[in-house]
Amino acid sequence: MGTFIQLVVDGLATGSIYAALALAIVLVNQATGLINFAQGGLAVLSSYIAFAFLQLQFPLIVAILIAVVLSFFIGALVERFLLRRFERGDPDTAVVVTIGLLTLVTGIAAMIWSYNNRAFPSLFPLTSVEILGAVVSVRSLATTVTIVVIMVVLQLLFLRTKLGLALRAVADNPASAAFSGLPVGRLLMVGWGLAATLGAVAGILVAPQLTLTPGMLDTALVYALASVILGGLSSPVGCVVAASAIGVLENLVAVYVPLIGHDLKIAVPFALIFVILILRPQGLFGRKVVVRV
Amino acid sequence: MSSVTSLRSNRILRIVLIAAVAILLLVAPLVLPVFANQTLVRIGVYAVAVLGLNIVMGYTGQVNLGQIFFVGLGAYVTAYGVNHGWNIVVVFAAACVIAGIVGLLVALAAARLGGLAIAMVTIALPIVGVPLAKRLDEFTGGSQGISARFSDAPDWSRLYSDQWQFYIVLLVTAAAFLVARNLVRGKYGRAFGVVRENEAVAASMGVSPYRTKVLAFTVASIFGGASGFLYLAAVQYTSPETLSFGHSISLVAAMVIGGAGSIAGSLIGGAYYVLVPQLTNAIDPSFTTASQGAILLAVLFLLPEGLVSLPRVVRRLTRRRSTRPAPGNSPQTAPARSPVTEAAPEGLQKTERGKIGHEG
Repeated sequence: MGTFIQLVVDGLATGSIYAALALAIVLVNQATGLINFAQGGLAVLSSYIAFAFLQLQFPLIVAILIAVVLSFFIGALVERFLLRRFERGDPDTAVVVTIGLLTLVTGIAAMIWSYNNRAFPSLFPLTSVEILGAVVSVRSLATTVTIVVIMVVLQLLFLRTKLGLALRAVADNPASAAFSGLPVGRLLMVGWGLAATLGAVAGILVAPQLTLTPGMLDTALVYALASVILGGLSSPVGCVVAASAIGVLENLVAVYVPLIGHDLKIAVPFALIFVILILRPQGLFGRKVVVRV
Repeated sequence: MSSVTSLRSNRILRIVLIAAVAILLLVAPLVLPVFANQTLVRIGVYAVAVLGLNIVMGYTGQVNLGQIFFVGLGAYVTAYGVNHGWNIVVVFAAACVIAGIVGLLVALAAARLGGLAIAMVTIALPIVGVPLAKRLDEFTGGSQGISARFSDAPDWSRLYSDQWQFYIVLLVTAAAFLVARNLVRGKYGRAFGVVRENEAVAASMGVSPYRTKVLAFTVASIFGGASGFLYLAAVQYTSPETLSFGHSISLVAAMVIGGAGSIAGSLIGGAYYVLVPQLTNAIDPSFTTASQGAILLAVLFLLPEGLVSLPRVVRRLTRRRSTRPAPGNSPQTAPARSPVTEAAPEGLQKTERGKIGHEG
């Protein structure tokens, strides 16, 4: 029983990391109607920026704050100068653009900082506490709490603020949003900026655990995409729930199903997706979209 | 009347051109150095993979990030078959059929998803494929990989192995391009196009978007399997590294850079996939990834239809420069201009139409 609880708790901790990235993907999708495959790459870049400021002898918390703020501007600039040209066109082309961006950003990080692993200090103490017989590190507890707070803030932002309403309106129908006097271009920049900020938080939270490399978040991105499919693209809560479920499930399967084990556990969420998609194509929490000719 | 004769002479010109290219390709391996032959062989290998990707992505509009998985699968099936002494034709068929069946199964679930979600499912294929290949080590040789030699030149041929491999790859690649060309020109090609443009319209016209997407994905997987067979013919070795995520991304980049929705673009894409990393690695290996991303974005910005549209774009630009008046003039208004420029737009119109017909 102790092992079981331990596995669940560890699964929730990893799940929260997938959740952070998944939230960033949902945020961009809510604000622009796109899937951003470069989300992980941008988050890695933000982590490297924090790392660079650390090397300049800035205190950890200051370096992180600088990186988070810079990430907002990087996200906004990427939208303004790269994605804007493709937002009105074919969504498939826009996806390929974000894939190109992922390759470019990873390549730039590799050119500047090389492919070697770099140690990144943790913001939270490395001690652990015991809950219900399971050992929980303070770090993963703090990570989970941070992600949950962000999720709540995001949900409030989208549902309770004027900015959130405007962002949703722009994503839903840019043309009529523009007719209602909304500054569509600026709102899209804000959406990308917010998503990049969120990605930066995710990257910096994971970096101590994974050590910093250009491909650090590639696997997490895949899990995040799986969470987004499962939870539904339109639901921040849904994707966090799905991410946690995936984190817990893959941990349990890795231990209790020897056939799958640790190296194949990444197949678990996708097997789950296949089953669910056959039953519920819109995702667990997604809305069904009706198309008219 | 003159257009009829020019059409006929066009056809004769085309036949002469094709014959010339065929003779060139048959003679080339006999005179080229080994390294050039090997490079051309690898271009052929990846051109087939890009061609498959083009059918599902370029023609049908389904973003597929998992094509390399089918290349790897084809390569592993080939290695297994060769090492178990199967007839080489059976091996080739198995590589295509098994990749096709797996592709069909994936497509049955993935094609249920609208729009971009199919991209998110296919991203899983290489990510799951690598640990799977390591795990199934009785078939795949685990992380060490597996080698199989079947493409050494037989004694009677009096050829070197690189020349023999060239002819194997040439044969299969040419066949694949012929099949793909006929497919996208025929009724399935039109179904692909309608589904790409608007699924709701396709459904109202009696074309099932679901079935069309599944078909396109399956065909793409079969081409991937064939490309895997060729990969093993050329490299004689495969490992989990072959089907890594990065390679899958590079295949997508190659397809877009060559030209999405273009048969000829697939060949250019194959050449890009092989040549550009060779070039950037020679300059500086740490520069390779960044340059690939930068090239992809630059092509998307400047030539959204890929390198295959470069001659067309250049011609359009030069024409626009020679006839200042209204920029963005459609070709229809061209004859109204002075007789000096009239000749040029007419010729262009014809070639453009020929091009469109040719591309499907």
